[in-house]
Amino acid sequence: MAVDSSQSLAKAAGAQGARGRGPRTGKTPGRLRRSLSTHWYAWAMVAPVVAVIGVIIGYPLVRGLYLSTTDANEANVERTIGVNHIPATYKSVGLDNYTAVLSDGIFWDRLTWTIIWTVSCVAISFTLGLVLANMLNRKLAGRSLYRMALILPWAVPAFVSVFTWRLLFNEKNGILNKILAGGGIDAIPWLNDPTWAKLSVITVNVWLGVPFMLVAMLGGLQSIPGELYEAAEMDGANAWQRFRHITLPGLRTVSSTVILISGIWTFNMFPVIFLLTRGGPGDATEILVTYAYRLSFVVSPRDFAGSAAWGVIILLLLSLFAVVYRRALRKQGEVW
Amino acid sequence: MRRGIAATALVAALALTAAACGGDDSDSGKKSSGKLSGTVTFWDTSNDAEKGTYEKLAKGFEDLHPDVKVNYVSVAFGEANAKFKNAAGGNSGAPDVMRTEVAWVADFANLGYLAPLEGTPALDKADDYLPQAAASTKFKGKTYAAPQTIDTLALFYNKKMLKDAGVEAPKTIDEVKSAAKKIKSKSGKTGLYLRGDDPYYYLPYLYGEGGDLLDTKNKKVTVDDPQGAAAFKVMKDLVDSKAATTDASDGYNNQLNAFKDGDVAMALDGPWSIEGALQGKEFKGDKDNLGIAPVPGGSDRQASPQGGWNLAAYAGSKNLDASYEFIKYMSSAKVQQQTTEKLSLLPTRTSVYDVQSVKDNQMVQFFKPAVDKSVERPWIPQANALFEPIRLQMEKVLSGKTSPEDGAKSVGDAYRKLLKDYK
Amino acid sequence: MTTVTNPETQAKAPSSSRPKKVRERGERGPLASVALHVGLLVASATAVLPPLWLLITSFKPTSEAFSTDLVKDFTFRNYDHVVNDTEFLSWLGNSLFVVGLTTVIGVFISATTGYAVSRFKFPGMRPLMWLLLITQMFPVAVLIVPLYNLLASLGLLNQPVGLVVTYLTIAVPFCAWMMKGYFDTIPVEIDEAGRVDGLNPFGTFWRLIVPLAKPGLAVTGFYSFITGWAEVAYASAFMTGEENLTLAGGLQTFVNQYTSDWGSLTASAVIVAVPAAVIFGFVQRHLVSGLTAGATKS
Repeated sequence: MAVDSSQSLAKAAGAQGARGRGPRTGKTPGRLRRSLSTHWYAWAMVAPVVAVIGVIIGYPLVRGLYLSTTDANEANVERTIGVNHIPATYKSVGLDNYTAVLSDGIFWDRLTWTIIWTVSCVAISFTLGLVLANMLNRKLAGRSLYRMALILPWAVPAFVSVFTWRLLFNEKNGILNKILAGGGIDAIPWLNDPTWAKLSVITVNVWLGVPFMLVAMLGGLQSIPGELYEAAEMDGANAWQRFRHITLPGLRTVSSTVILISGIWTFNMFPVIFLLTRGGPGDATEILVTYAYRLSFVVSPRDFAGSAAWGVIILLLLSLFAVVYRRALRKQGEVW
Repeated sequence: MRRGIAATALVAALALTAAACGGDDSDSGKKSSGKLSGTVTFWDTSNDAEKGTYEKLAKGFEDLHPDVKVNYVSVAFGEANAKFKNAAGGNSGAPDVMRTEVAWVADFANLGYLAPLEGTPALDKADDYLPQAAASTKFKGKTYAAPQTIDTLALFYNKKMLKDAGVEAPKTIDEVKSAAKKIKSKSGKTGLYLRGDDPYYYLPYLYGEGGDLLDTKNKKVTVDDPQGAAAFKVMKDLVDSKAATTDASDGYNNQLNAFKDGDVAMALDGPWSIEGALQGKEFKGDKDNLGIAPVPGGSDRQASPQGGWNLAAYAGSKNLDASYEFIKYMSSAKVQQQTTEKLSLLPTRTSVYDVQSVKDNQMVQFFKPAVDKSVERPWIPQANALFEPIRLQMEKVLSGKTSPEDGAKSVGDAYRKLLKDYK
Repeated sequence: MTTVTNPETQAKAPSSSRPKKVRERGERGPLASVALHVGLLVASATAVLPPLWLLITSFKPTSEAFSTDLVKDFTFRNYDHVVNDTEFLSWLGNSLFVVGLTTVIGVFISATTGYAVSRFKFPGMRPLMWLLLITQMFPVAVLIVPLYNLLASLGLLNQPVGLVVTYLTIAVPFCAWMMKGYFDTIPVEIDEAGRVDGLNPFGTFWRLIVPLAKPGLAVTGFYSFITGWAEVAYASAFMTGEENLTLAGGLQTFVNQYTSDWGSLTASAVIVAVPAAVIFGFVQRHLVSGLTAGATKS
């Protein structure tokens, strides 16, 4: 469906020498000037974003990196109370925070659960999205009605939905347990038992995530040329074979991107956990991000340094994931 | 010209961001005449049933000082500590006066967020305060708050339900269990609601077994002594034997709802819930149905923690003069008498206990002796931080993920990390 | 040109008015049809029930919030209460201001970047792509404390504008990424035509591409709007005064550890959700094309 951009890119830019991975900046002044004259349009266009990222993401990031090597907490950071100014008294502790985090069982517990959480959320919502998209992508009475209904969870602001689920999940009075009681089933401690709480948060996140998958998959399905199916049918391929050999490969590019994106989103999914269980019961549903937030804004004294160290580790993990994922895709012939 | 467009756009965008960085509000203080003026922002943490009364009382300050506007803000107890720290630490949005839980004072003072009150109008007739209430307002020899109300936990019970089951208000945990059995066989209802989500409710069980969180004199962590594990065991046993029901979240509301609707017969609660309980269908037309007794004792004794609320002034307040006066007013004998009459909250001034209407208040009659015997908590900056490790382990123990012994041990380990100089 | 699918027609393709484009798969048997409808009905019911229950609950008095009856003491009191007696309207205003401004600035400064990355090959492009991807995965935890300190020192804490700056950290990388995906679907031939007419890249972008990309801009904007609309972590930490809260923070004051005013919560949630859902209904077709354009091409 797409133009092979690599051909026209260079032309459009009016550049001849910029093909492939050239040296980033010329080593000689002449080269620099030449690339400046060819690329200044592009650089000027990306400048605003680079500037914004540099200032409001770059500075805090560098600062966060720095904090993670100190013992900063709320009692020793610089602060101003009205007219009183209290100077910072924290000091550098090298990589102590990192060794402390990595040698702590809590980190590995949280990491394990975060991975389970991410993988199951993404896998389930992707599968459901794919199945529903295939069901919808055909002539069907009431198709647009179904579609509107299925997208609804996305249309409602997430924090509203999470509150709604809390209303449903209430163990003593919630509608879910009342329905179960009508069927003679004992009340389920949706949010009060560690295992049930885990299932509940995953359920809510899947519920929130399916519409995104559905929409992306529908788009992907519609971009597969119908002729392929016709040809396959003529060759006598059955429904499963058509799905296996046409639909799935046709969805590969879309799938790879949505899985990457939703994987990252889910890994960092703060609101669902925070508003539904606050990480409880105990720390059963606490993922890495909510734990790091707890360190810097809930526990006392607020552990800014520790929280920053957690943040940096989370970032490294995600970057690693993205690199490995991209590499795996490239091996299969994807270009990016 | 065409090139200019993008450049202009860029400049415009930057200008927007830059313009976004201005603006601050200002607040006037004392006029030259010495008359108070300006605004006093008051963060109140009282609960749903209480806040109407508190708002009215706070606004009453405007009658005394017509030039001062009281900006009453109700902040949920659960968020108040974090919110105040966010605001005070960032020096923006913090209130002038904050209703501060007794365990928060030392913490906030240690961070430099509170104004010392010695020599200010805020401390009025300080020797009238109950000594244990005043103790929670001090940090490193200075006073940072004025006590407003004092409380402790007690056993709330539904007289009718207990009578129907033929039991008296239980005095020990064992009696709670046998009473619960009778209640269940009689009405099918649960005996006790056990707060599994709030670590504060671990304390009566811990004290009951003869333990404590810390030994501040000898700088020793005592929560992981055998008594700490025993307390967890008692709680777990109450839940496992179905004598008690519990939740890992929303416990405050679930407990109050269950109790006032007659779904449970007993609950551990404090004076702050009296008003809420009386609004429920079990007690609405029948105030006398609400029975209150000391917390059931464990194997060692009957004891519950001392709590309460103080009033503190934010050190960065732009209107400290009016704030001090406001604190004086809100902690005055007159206001305390009203909170007792309307909400059955316990005064912190000895003189108020002599007022006839306070003397006649049944709740006060019950709670005052209980408060006198209640266990003082360690008034150290980390006092509030002691709860989080308990919450974590309590939920783990109650859900069976951790044994009581390991739970208590983990709490102790967390304390040693928190309190560097403790053994 | 032929290889490029116009998102408009793509989205409309399966509607029955254009039967030719719908592939004729083998006819379904009646059994399969029933199964299909049952499956979709179950899924739709699951999707619709929670919001529907929210709506139903909002018409019950708070004391009956957990009642299982569909209608119980039907009342508008909750709506009356949140609108007149709480700070709800100022929260709504704050949210609209913060998220609206974020979206406008975000889309505005991201559009050129999306275009540049889509069209040109220039030194620094690959690192930039990585930067855009990686900044999207920045966990709240790594930025929140430094941002808190930064805003505090600028006096922007507890100010809606401070939250705008914060949300730009989320919106900008995302918008640039989405816009790139959209520009990829616009044929390069248009750029070439522009060049032939003597326009420089800025002119081409501004005069030819931006008008064509309006749906893409709208979708990106809308998408970043709903992302900011639902943000909780920063809003909870940076906004403290009750009158400065955004909706995500404000609604938490109705239902939390010590209060459970479900009546107010459900009523305000409905007020927040209905307009959002209606707009969503209108733009969702564009959203489909916009997103998949981004997805298939990234």
